[in-house]
Amino acid sequence: MNFKLQTRTSENHLPIIGLEGEVDVYTAPQLKQQMIALLEQGAKQVVVDLTNVEYLDSTALGVLIGGLKRLREAEGNLMLICPNPRIRRVFEITGLDKIFDIHNSENEVQPAAGKETA
Amino acid sequence: MANGDSPAQVELIIPCRPEFVGVARLAMLGVASRMRFSYDEVEDIRLAVGEACTTSVEWAQRNRRPESTIVLRSEITPDKLIVDIIDTAGSRQDDSGVGGQLDNENLGALLITLLVDEVKVEPRPDGTHVRMVKNAGQP
Repeated sequence: MNFKLQTRTSENHLPIIGLEGEVDVYTAPQLKQQMIALLEQGAKQVVVDLTNVEYLDSTALGVLIGGLKRLREAEGNLMLICPNPRIRRVFEITGLDKIFDIHNSENEVQPAAGKETA
Repeated sequence: MANGDSPAQVELIIPCRPEFVGVARLAMLGVASRMRFSYDEVEDIRLAVGEACTTSVEWAQRNRRPESTIVLRSEITPDKLIVDIIDTAGSRQDDSGVGGQLDNENLGALLITLLVDEVKVEPRPDGTHVRMVKNAGQP
């Protein structure tokens, strides 16, 4: 199954989990693991880059919601980069586009003022 | 459809395990692409079937039934696609007292409801039968 996960750091020092391929019941556990690792390292703001994701299901949404919840509890945030309209549609039809900060590109993602980035 | 308007049936049996859900989605992509569905509608069917199979897989895991299977049966008619997803993943009655729901099951069920025209879930002696119907557009 075509899936890749790579974590990088943005120009403004935010951790970005870059995903590629299909994020589903088989692959979403890897995203969850990476998210937990970043939280345990003390990350307060995390970006998940869905630019190269071609399929995303409820399991992936569940992991993202879990991550968002934990980060917001720690007064942080989870931001998404999602320029693909087909993937964005999954967020829109479930109403989750109103809950997540969704951006079209990495340039749009700005760390919240006064918050620790890592 | 490929051959006039004659109804056709496509059946696939997969192990009820996470790594095979993608196979079911791929098959549905092939089946739905042969019908009068728009690009978005084909995607809807792929996602809805993927969600139904995911729920089956998660129940198989919870019920510790790694040997269970999913039968994916598509019936192609001139005006609609009927998909039956029949698993042997055991009962979806939860005895842990947490309400008989998996973590993502509500979200998955919501997606299915939003993506297809009809959905029916029926328990079977050894698992669950989900039937979904997607109406095809006018020729």
